[in-house]
Amino acid sequence: MKHPVSEEAQEQLDRWSGKAQKLFTELLEDAGSDLQRELLQRAVAAAHTPGEVHAFADEIRGLSDLELYEACTLEDAAPEDYTVAQLLRAEADPLFAFELKGGTIDPNEDETRELAPPPEPKVKPSFELSAAQDALARGLSGKKKVGFEAESADASAKAMDWGALGSAPPPPSQSHASPTPTSGKLLEDLLAEATRGLSVAWREHDVDAPGAMSLSDALASAAGAVTRGIPVPCAIGPATGQHRRFILMMQASASGKTRAWQLYDPLSQELVWANEGDLLARAELPFANKVNRRLTRIVLPQSLKAAF
Amino acid sequence: MATARAQPSPPFVSRELNGEVLLEELADLRNAQVQQRHLNDCVLNLRGLEGVRVSEAAARLKQLASNRFAGQPALASLLVRWAAKLKSEVEVPLLLGHLERLALTSALVTALRRGAERLPRGGRA
Repeated sequence: MKHPVSEEAQEQLDRWSGKAQKLFTELLEDAGSDLQRELLQRAVAAAHTPGEVHAFADEIRGLSDLELYEACTLEDAAPEDYTVAQLLRAEADPLFAFELKGGTIDPNEDETRELAPPPEPKVKPSFELSAAQDALARGLSGKKKVGFEAESADASAKAMDWGALGSAPPPPSQSHASPTPTSGKLLEDLLAEATRGLSVAWREHDVDAPGAMSLSDALASAAGAVTRGIPVPCAIGPATGQHRRFILMMQASASGKTRAWQLYDPLSQELVWANEGDLLARAELPFANKVNRRLTRIVLPQSLKAAF
Repeated sequence: MATARAQPSPPFVSRELNGEVLLEELADLRNAQVQQRHLNDCVLNLRGLEGVRVSEAAARLKQLASNRFAGQPALASLLVRWAAKLKSEVEVPLLLGHLERLALTSALVTALRRGAERLPRGGRA
């Protein structure tokens, strides 16, 4: 039996791979009630990934309609410290409400990558690909890691998975064409996904670029976040707009008029303290790699749930 | 004369509580393959402890360790160790903040590692 799908959900489904669409049809068939099917459609319409919707369906399948309504509705239980934005979003997005009320889902990331369609460039690259590079890019499309990027509006700006090339030629030099988006979002979607269960949203800002946030403003905002217990992700690099590594600003320690920042590099596992004056000097960071000497981007938390 | 408010004991005033100590705990949890959802679950279960008496907070931590997280010995052990360190009321919110930060840092580090693939040379430049 084919279940009707709302226009909004269909719009999202059209962006899914054929396999993911087929799986969703099966999820609707397996759903225990019309209410479950309705909420699954709303989760799709809210632009959740196939993996998330699948995990959500698994979580709610065993619930009665009464339990399901209770699990995905805030009305009676909404505490005062939910924001208006959270309440409004929860009305339209049952999966969001489910998590806001303490429910957890465990999306299979491998499945999400497999089911998500390869991102199609919406914006023509600003550089011309050579025929060989073009062929290489086409060849990579099957291997390219898409994951949650498939939802991103700027999926076209994502870097290629050069690590998947094996013995293939190296990527083009930075001076010719950078695989790194300098204006696209690098972390927002990944951070949103990773901290969804903790209800923290993020916004990414370039630092020191023309018209962008200044470093001193960025540090002031970051200080507010770490004081509330939220580490702040950043990118560092040799110059403005050249993002080379991601680090975490773990905490800040103020003494008189000076402030020190504890920085953590997850790849090198270096944990260092840096004086704010040194950060503002943009001359050197206390990591072993001295090439990356300044903060180039910062990702600040936007909304906090009661616990934070 | 007003009674002086109890000061937090050394583990809770260490500058490295939410730095080196936190990262070491995180490494232990990762080695024990404790998943993010367990950390999130832990944070959600600890809500409401702020303001309760030390004895009650410690008992709740031990209860969580022995019941809900009995299948996650590394996480259970962490909760029991911290419960044993609680000495005064002022330390309860400090511990809750530490455990919340632990869960959040774990999620962020995972995201940064995934995101590094989008950088030149996988973020190792």
